[in-house]
Amino acid sequence: MLDVALVSLIKNMSEKAGIEGAIQYWSRVGENLAKRIGEEAYMGWPSFNVALKEGRTAFSIEGDVTALTDLAITDVDGDVVGYIYALKECVFTPTIKRIRYSVGEIPDADRAVAEEYNNTVQNTATCNFCVIHQKFRSEVSKNITVENQPLECVQLANRGFRGDTKINRRSLERIGINPEYVRSLLRNYACVYGILMKGARLRGSEED
Amino acid sequence: MKEERYDDEYKAKLGRHNPFVDVAAYLFLEDIGDKQGAAGMNNYLMSLATSLAKSMPKEEYSSWDDFMDSLLKGESIISSFEDVHCPTENCVVTETCPFTEGWQEYTKRIGEFADIHKEVAEYYNSTVKPGAVDSQCIIHQTFRKAAAERIKVAGKPVKYAQIEAVTPNADEKRAPNEWLPILLNKANITETELNMTMRNNDCVWILYTE
Repeated sequence: MLDVALVSLIKNMSEKAGIEGAIQYWSRVGENLAKRIGEEAYMGWPSFNVALKEGRTAFSIEGDVTALTDLAITDVDGDVVGYIYALKECVFTPTIKRIRYSVGEIPDADRAVAEEYNNTVQNTATCNFCVIHQKFRSEVSKNITVENQPLECVQLANRGFRGDTKINRRSLERIGINPEYVRSLLRNYACVYGILMKGARLRGSEED
Repeated sequence: MKEERYDDEYKAKLGRHNPFVDVAAYLFLEDIGDKQGAAGMNNYLMSLATSLAKSMPKEEYSSWDDFMDSLLKGESIISSFEDVHCPTENCVVTETCPFTEGWQEYTKRIGEFADIHKEVAEYYNSTVKPGAVDSQCIIHQTFRKAAAERIKVAGKPVKYAQIEAVTPNADEKRAPNEWLPILLNKANITETELNMTMRNNDCVWILYTE
């Protein structure tokens, strides 16, 4: 009920605080959530991936996350510095369904917030909730270490409930993954992101 | 079609909770509480619930029986977020608070529920109506009141009143002693029956027309 109530407030919030204000609000929600969950440390990627599978990491709050262990992210020396992860279903899908059947339509402000975020922050949002979601991941990864290295999360691709997709070519180039491969992942997953060691020397970054 | 839409499987599918949104929402409300205090947070919660109810379609029923039928099936806006049963024509019982799962996720992932959620309820109880245990009750009870105002039965607007609520952490709030006999009379239950009902349910309230 709380989620549906918040959605009904998006229009109100956008009118009072402006679209930019709504983006700042949602960003702060994602940031606060990440801060309040606390820190984590893992000995290596296998222990992180097992924790993820068992729902023990902060990332697990988003639901069933699959570690695509066939898609390791490697640095210039060929060492594994991260992996690609995917959510089968967007965490907001149940909320959207509840809105559909209890309220009716999603407020227009939803799209307006996403578009403004795409134009001013990064071109990765398919709906206004992506703002909270992506900020959360980027902040929470700073509180987690693997082999004593803090992490970084990069948004790679996502599919909205309307079927529209966003593919972050810049980040994919940086980690050396073919965008068309990630597009095929979106057939089976709603959101794809990479978690890697912060500051890792990636092939894409070296080319820059 | 209607039967198919409201079967258990369908409701389970829709009802699947999403901890991310719930926990983020609680923290969002705490952020408001930090900035605007209990009074500001209370205004926000009430506006949120009223805004939700106003965004839902109005309803009209030709008889109380038709309304009860819709209420029990979860088709009415007022029961769209909770499973209810009615021991009498005007008494409504919520088996499980719809905020339970969100609260459980919060306590599992964040820790103890922040004090501001109770402080805001104290403010609500002293300035609006004494019936809330925490912030969740403010949203819920304000929503029910605003939703009831959107429903007409035989041309008359439906009225809502709160009798008792217990939250997931077992804190409870009963209507003041001076109001209780009147509310129980409208509900057509005794205080003993209320006590019995509250053993295994989370909320007792009434709906009526004048």
